[in-house]
Amino acid sequence: MSVEQEIRRFLVDDILFGDGEKLQVDISFQEHGIIDSLGFVELITFVEKKFGIEIKDDELIPENFDSLQKINRFVESKLNRRKASPSGEKSTS
Amino acid sequence: MDFHKDILRIDCKSEVERICSFIQQQVRAMRRDGIVIGLSGGVDSAVSAAICVRALGKDKVFGLILPEKESDPVSAEYATKQAKELDIETETIDITPTLEAFGTYQKRDKAIREVFPEYDDGYKSKITLPADLLSRDAYNFFTLKIDDGKGNIKSARLGKKTLNGIVAATDSKLRTRMMHLYYYAEMKNYLVCGTTNKTEAVQGFFVRYGDGGVDIEPIAHLYKTQVYQLAEYLGVISEIIERVPSPDTFSFQVSDEEFYFRIPYATLDLLLYAWEYNIPVERVCETMNLTEEQVKRATRDFAAKYNATKHLRQLPPTLE
Repeated sequence: MSVEQEIRRFLVDDILFGDGEKLQVDISFQEHGIIDSLGFVELITFVEKKFGIEIKDDELIPENFDSLQKINRFVESKLNRRKASPSGEKSTS
Repeated sequence: MDFHKDILRIDCKSEVERICSFIQQQVRAMRRDGIVIGLSGGVDSAVSAAICVRALGKDKVFGLILPEKESDPVSAEYATKQAKELDIETETIDITPTLEAFGTYQKRDKAIREVFPEYDDGYKSKITLPADLLSRDAYNFFTLKIDDGKGNIKSARLGKKTLNGIVAATDSKLRTRMMHLYYYAEMKNYLVCGTTNKTEAVQGFFVRYGDGGVDIEPIAHLYKTQVYQLAEYLGVISEIIERVPSPDTFSFQVSDEEFYFRIPYATLDLLLYAWEYNIPVERVCETMNLTEEQVKRATRDFAAKYNATKHLRQLPPTLE
């Protein structure tokens, strides 16, 4: 399953009570009220655990998390940086 | 719709008269003999109590001062001083034993220890949202901050389970106060006066069946900055007017801005007004010397908080 599919499944199953109809790839979560602040906290916890990445406080901005597309891009870039690092250590930046 | 920096200025005299009429009508309509009000040592309760006295007379207003072991000590001191100024009868009840019996501190500390196992009685704690929304965009995630009593501060971002554990335990402080208020209200055939202002009400900065568990809300139509105008007009003691507004429910002191609003009240209220009345963004930027991005960021935050707390402002849903 791709990063985007994993995140979509989590959002639909755990945040949106199975209702994924509105969840287009580029829809703004904030503007459409897709997730509230508690849902957001759950999403961050899920992403950190599922992909083994550490997300810093200053990365918790709409630019990285306001749509499925943005999250996918952010997570992929974290994973790529981890792959590129010689030690393969947990990515923190 | 007009919008300028003084848009929230009110005519205090006529506003107080309007609220007095409202209070008199409500007391009559509910067939009560007076009002019980919780005095927190903050500006909202001080203003509400002063207006209640004007509406009903000092003999029909009863003030309850309900500190607990983690309250700022000046809260009860200022509340007592303000009550003396108003010459109303009060009772001070330390709610610490009730909270201990319920397990408020124990439950809260257990949640905190999931993040900081070393947390014990010598520590202080608070939770905060990211600071200064207008300078920097960030989502509303809560950070737990602890102080070991020697000035060593640690912080950690909270997950849902720990956050809910801390909030649920902390909110029991406000619900315990509500219980005390209603005990006296029923005993005296009084009604319970709320002290929530509009800035708080719109953004859900109150606890359901806590400080939101009341019979009337006489200042819920006024922004916080308007409450301050009334405080000056009514002669609320300067210690209360000059004090930094705080929920006063955490042992590690935290301001309202740090805990929830992320924007100073003077700016926040104007932006909230602009949001409520759909003032064009360009007009808001021009009046407040803010960028379009800052205004949009604030209104996104208002909408998010308003929507997330909608249920707090509604009666429990029922079937027809």
